[in-house]
Amino acid sequence: MAEVEETLKRIQSQNGVQGIIIVNTEGIPIKTTLDNASTVQYAGLIHQLVMKARSTVRDIDPQNDLTFLRVRSKKNEIMIAPDKDYFLIVIQNPSD
Amino acid sequence: MAGTEHVEVEETLKRIEAHKGVIGTIIVDAEGIPIRTTLDNSTTVLYARLLRRLTMNARSTVRDIDPQNDLTFLRIRSKKHEILVAPENDYLLIVIQNPCE
Repeated sequence: MAEVEETLKRIQSQNGVQGIIIVNTEGIPIKTTLDNASTVQYAGLIHQLVMKARSTVRDIDPQNDLTFLRVRSKKNEIMIAPDKDYFLIVIQNPSD
Repeated sequence: MAGTEHVEVEETLKRIEAHKGVIGTIIVDAEGIPIRTTLDNSTTVLYARLLRRLTMNARSTVRDIDPQNDLTFLRIRSKKHEILVAPENDYLLIVIQNPCE
């Protein structure tokens, strides 16, 4: 548990990171650094997008699987690391 | 003028295709029809259809979060390779690469 906290702190302290959300397989946020409203909004929408991305990968090749997703937009970048039981979502401002 | 633009597009695509690890490139037009590809037909059609759908979904997600925002790029990393999608004016540039450096 302490390792998780340390990892999250490390990510959070990276330049440009706006927020971190961990959601479970149902899309329910179990940890977040954002306010409640933003968290709920991001969690729901991103969860369904990740499920779609995963299906897309599997439809192309059933032996393949999604390992990472990066959604870049004009204002920020959303990175999602899907795991068996959780998704880690990081929102960053990629101003380099 | 149309001639030089076409040359530029060709050169850009050749540059991408020659890049180490690039498995294939596909350009999909506004109707979802692949207009250029370095892959075989059935693979191209499959990628074009599925990625177009996913890109539209990603774009909606971005706009649902913030209506003033818009999708600029999508990177789908899987166990076997990585798919990069650059949407522009309803066109899609799809690059499939093997990111093993």
